[in-house]
Amino acid sequence: MNYVLHLCIMIGIYLILVYSLNLVLGFCGLLSLCHAAFYGIGAYTYTLLVMNYEIPFLLALFLTVCITGIFAFLISIPGLKFRGDPFVLVTLGFQIIIFSVLYNWISLTRGPYGIPGIPRPEIFGLKIDSIYEYFCFVLCVLVVVLVFLGILYRSPFGLALKSLREDEKAAESLGKSAYHHFLWAFTIGGAIAGIAGALYASYITYIDPTSFTLDESIFQVVILLVGGAGNLIGPTLGTIFMILLPESLRFLGLPDTVAANVRQIIYGGILILLMYFRPQGIKGDFKIR
Amino acid sequence: MRLLIQLSINGLITGGLYSLIALSFGLVYRSTRIFHLALGAVYTTAAYGMYVGTNWGIWAGIISGLVSAVILSLLVEWFIYQPFVKKGSSLGVILIASLGVYIIVVNLIALLFGNEVKMISSGIEPSFSLEFIILTRIQIIQFIVSIIVILIIWSGLKKSKFLKVVWAMGDEPQLLEVLGLPIFRIRSLIFILSGLLVATASMLSAYDIGIDPHQGLSAILLGAVAVLVGGIDNLWGWIIAAFLISEIQSLAMWKFSAKWNDAITFFLLIFALLFKPKGLFTSERRVEER
Repeated sequence: MNYVLHLCIMIGIYLILVYSLNLVLGFCGLLSLCHAAFYGIGAYTYTLLVMNYEIPFLLALFLTVCITGIFAFLISIPGLKFRGDPFVLVTLGFQIIIFSVLYNWISLTRGPYGIPGIPRPEIFGLKIDSIYEYFCFVLCVLVVVLVFLGILYRSPFGLALKSLREDEKAAESLGKSAYHHFLWAFTIGGAIAGIAGALYASYITYIDPTSFTLDESIFQVVILLVGGAGNLIGPTLGTIFMILLPESLRFLGLPDTVAANVRQIIYGGILILLMYFRPQGIKGDFKIR
Repeated sequence: MRLLIQLSINGLITGGLYSLIALSFGLVYRSTRIFHLALGAVYTTAAYGMYVGTNWGIWAGIISGLVSAVILSLLVEWFIYQPFVKKGSSLGVILIASLGVYIIVVNLIALLFGNEVKMISSGIEPSFSLEFIILTRIQIIQFIVSIIVILIIWSGLKKSKFLKVVWAMGDEPQLLEVLGLPIFRIRSLIFILSGLLVATASMLSAYDIGIDPHQGLSAILLGAVAVLVGGIDNLWGWIIAAFLISEIQSLAMWKFSAKWNDAITFFLLIFALLFKPKGLFTSERRVEER
């Protein structure tokens, strides 16, 4: 039972990540390869705030969102000058820079040793400790985030993003600035990924930089592309499929070293086949350009 | 001071390797507009081809490295890129598919050979010292080979119509078909050339520092950064940018440490693109000229 709850919690955390990525990739049509960087910034900011300054959970979460949002804002200023390949390369570069900082700035992040013993959250004196409580907690956060994003998706802002995605010049001629809309979408997306990072850190109670690599960013993009970007159902389908797939491989009984590689090979194969036969994903209305 | 000179010479040598990668990536990118991430897989395959081939002597290793790189490069073009292009897929879709190829090949290699670093040359390289500068034999070979290859490519492309076709293909692929040029044969030729170039760089580096399955992507990204920083339309820009990047990395080692290399490269990319979005060595042209 605990195993199922653990899977549900991981799916919940990934749903938050993928829905926030959906705002950038699905609604703006920008292929961003630095979502794991925001995830990592969120996890580390939360951890450092809680461990060094003993800030209460909600305040720490709020500060994490702000700081991650600021990072997202800063990287989108140069990034959004470009579309297509240079944008991909700039976000990818940011991902590598952040990983490099997390890995090498040992006096701050303890580098490859990671940070153990992160306390579980405590809200108004209520300590969330058992896995069942944590599951309920993640569910609550997920619902809040999804309601927020759902409103955002359908708001004039979300519709403006969609129209900019479809035809940037036409939408700009109607007075919708691509730069400003994308800047906000990117910032909000990054900030929400920060929430997922904080949840991950407080759930696992241990973080190290290897959870926030380029591969992780690619994995999140794959989840979104498999499910289908640009709507409300696609990310859920993708997340459930991509998280449960490796878990089902576990029952094949492959040795650990081989299993990681086999999983990656399957991801790669899925990517190629998907892009060839159904570039919009299982349930999606947007094909990447 | 001695250290500074030694480091800048090391940077010059690595710059040669980087420019080979940049040429390899840039030729494909400029002509087909595909962001050829699978080149990372070709890079890794070449080094492992050499690793296997060296069991029968160094020359067998070199040949097997080159051959395996060219074969993989062509397979990617024939069985992945061409079907996508014929289907009319967008470039973003092809980029993702290319990433898929990279992931598959690298993990297959990791399954076959393991994730740890494999050394190709055993034993210590003989080194030479001029005054106070110390160079190993492989460094000298790296430098000479990369300079020769750059010169061959440059003069060959200048003499033949090939470079013009490559450039024209990047601008107007449909026009080439109208002119009756065999577009897919030219593409295959470009992929062979790119495979050979990247294999040269990969083998020279693998002989020096060994190879592990995950080196390919960061090497290719260096090439991609050089192409974008140098300016997509300027072949010499790629090469100069490649040397620039490796010099900066090498000199940064003097002040900081080698572990910041990746961060420095991409910081440079973001910084350069912020101020010169078209690349450092692209001359501004009037709109009508484009």
